[in-house]
Amino acid sequence: MAQKSAASLNPETHLLLDQPLLRLPHEVLRKVFKSSQKYVEQDSKKISDLAREAASKANNGASPDASLAAINTMITRMQGLKRKMETQHEEEKLVHSQLRKRTTHLNDLYSLTSLLDDGYGKWSKVRLDRLLVDYMLRNGYSESAKRLAHEKDIEGLVDINVFLQCWSIEESLRQKSTVECLAWCQDNKNALKKIKSTLEFELRLQQYIELVRSRKLSEAVIYARRHLSGNFDSHKDDFHRASCMLAFPPERPGPYKDLYAESRWDHLVKTFVTTHHNLYNIPQGPLLHVALSAGLSALKTPSCHSTLPSSRSNTASSVTSLCPICSTELNDLAIHVPYGHHTTSWVEHDLVVLPNGRVYGTRRLEDLASKLGLAAGKVKDPVTAEEWDSEEVRKVFIS
Amino acid sequence: MDAIEKELDRLVGKANLSNSLKDIDGCLELLMAARATIEADSSTAGATLSSLETQLKAGFDQTNDSLKEVYTGLNKYGKALDKKFKPVSMSDYDVLSTHQPLINRAIGMHLLREGNFDIAETFIAEADLAATIPPTLESDFRDMYRIKEALRVRDLGPAIEWAANRREQLEARGSNLEFELHRLQYVVYLFGGGEDGPRKALEYSRREFLPFQQKYLTEISKLAGALLWREKMPNSPYAELLNSGAAWSAVADSFTSEFCSLLNLAAESPLYVAATAGAIALPTLLKMTSIMKEKKTEWTSRNELPVEIPLPDRYKFHSIFVCPVSKEQTTDLNPPMMIPCGHVLAKDSLQKLSRSGNRFKCPYCPADSLPKDAREIYL
Repeated sequence: MAQKSAASLNPETHLLLDQPLLRLPHEVLRKVFKSSQKYVEQDSKKISDLAREAASKANNGASPDASLAAINTMITRMQGLKRKMETQHEEEKLVHSQLRKRTTHLNDLYSLTSLLDDGYGKWSKVRLDRLLVDYMLRNGYSESAKRLAHEKDIEGLVDINVFLQCWSIEESLRQKSTVECLAWCQDNKNALKKIKSTLEFELRLQQYIELVRSRKLSEAVIYARRHLSGNFDSHKDDFHRASCMLAFPPERPGPYKDLYAESRWDHLVKTFVTTHHNLYNIPQGPLLHVALSAGLSALKTPSCHSTLPSSRSNTASSVTSLCPICSTELNDLAIHVPYGHHTTSWVEHDLVVLPNGRVYGTRRLEDLASKLGLAAGKVKDPVTAEEWDSEEVRKVFIS
Repeated sequence: MDAIEKELDRLVGKANLSNSLKDIDGCLELLMAARATIEADSSTAGATLSSLETQLKAGFDQTNDSLKEVYTGLNKYGKALDKKFKPVSMSDYDVLSTHQPLINRAIGMHLLREGNFDIAETFIAEADLAATIPPTLESDFRDMYRIKEALRVRDLGPAIEWAANRREQLEARGSNLEFELHRLQYVVYLFGGGEDGPRKALEYSRREFLPFQQKYLTEISKLAGALLWREKMPNSPYAELLNSGAAWSAVADSFTSEFCSLLNLAAESPLYVAATAGAIALPTLLKMTSIMKEKKTEWTSRNELPVEIPLPDRYKFHSIFVCPVSKEQTTDLNPPMMIPCGHVLAKDSLQKLSRSGNRFKCPYCPADSLPKDAREIYL
């Protein structure tokens, strides 16, 4: 009964980890919509103005050629709008098809009822591949991510483009260039304003600091006037400190050491990434971390980092398979997580203890003895390979 | 999910930019038509342009209406998402963010073991992993996949060669893989070798079964018997040998498992098992965290999870002993102790029960014993 409930699959809660799959495309669609709306607003206003102007001129005796020229200008503008909208529509269609694939993939889980289904294993493999691609993209292993996504045919289930763009901006910041990030801020101006992001101010401040660092003081002042003073009210302290640092060259930074610090660039990278992920409604860290943190703990037992060889789930004999936490891949990593909590013992049936104190299930010892072709009445310890007479084996009771 | 799909249908069906694009095309046609009219009769310029202005305004209003439909569609989709998925903060469960090199290594090894050698190569280069992955792992796994591929096309040769080279190691583990491979080869000759089959099988058995004679005597005589029964196989006691599809996959599984074990690795990708167990565990952990947050406690700082995660048996590996007295799991520092009556307690509990080495009663049975007679056992 316990086993039955432990194996039952509840898709509703099981999909918690997967909601970014549907949320990110939603944010991309909203962005597409916002841009389209902006294009239509700008161009329709311009074209309407042109039309009004042309009409009034024509009615006041302008030449037909002038009218035709005005119409041609409007047509060019209109065609421009059409092209921009077509590009947006293409992206929209792409995201729609991604969403379709994703809902289908998530829906597949609803046709399964048990964690022991083969189908669940397959589904979970796809999920792992998704998590791996996500992890690779967030850490800038872009080629690996692209290859894995391509080879496993899950390109519709991962967000390569969004993360590639994010990574390239991160890299430019690490190269101490603010241009790309500022352009991104410009692209997302309204959204950033809505969440009261200070990213753009921080970038501008950094630009200013770099001017001060290279002692281009008058340029720095002009830059501050143009780009920082607008935010005076919300950043009074920063503004004051930024002005005062003019008097302190980088060799003698005095109280402005923090502003001159190289680590400000790392801070900018972090701020950008946090802001970016917030905007796209995606988790700050890779979901692989979340899945592994939980999974390692759930699987880990006190035996996994014990100095004593466990009687079960080792590689010493063919009658057991190795515990994943004890396998080289995860063993060091799992040191850092707590082990699972258990309220009841979980042991083999008909336990016996050998003279060396090691405990095994009777069936397993019999299996091994027959596979090894031991003489009748002999048993062998599967781990230490010591051999005993069956009489030396005694029963042990664990409830 | 149905609600989300319905909203997605709306987005794909009509709440998209295609309608706005049609409206824009309409406006473009208006402009073209106006130009044609003026070109045909320049005296109409004033009137044409005036009406164009009005028509364009209507056209743009239409475009905006179409856009509004997209907006509504997106909002509805967003609401369906929110309804389906309560927003959760996952960052609470990330205790691994400072261990990127170890995670990278686990992924690198996973890709190799899954046979994704090209991706593994790219990843190992990008993440600069070469120094942390066992140097022979790739060639080992290439070997494994070469042999498995041979098995897939029903060629036992490479697997038999591999097993023969490791006979001692395999025997010490109590593995009968090598014999199983030979046995299958014999059956293949016997039933797949046509007219010549029985002769080939007989020759093969004479040549290869000798080292196994002692250990697998009954099996071997059964196989020899099959030689006589060949024609009437479906009704014979050897019928099970005919079911070779299952035999092939069993041999392949057993090969994979032995191969990984000899490398001291688990047979199934640990990364896969752990990520899957994690997904199974998360709902329980999320529930727990929300409770713990109210009580303002943290779980990551402890060495044991505060809540039990129900996992299917296939995700359980080591034996677990929970002391019936203290309800704690035993560890190296607090190991399980067996008292003379055969019952088991944690060492700490034993010491508490007996108080300064005095005789105490077993919590399970009437027997009483001295703590010095208890002995440590290893699960």
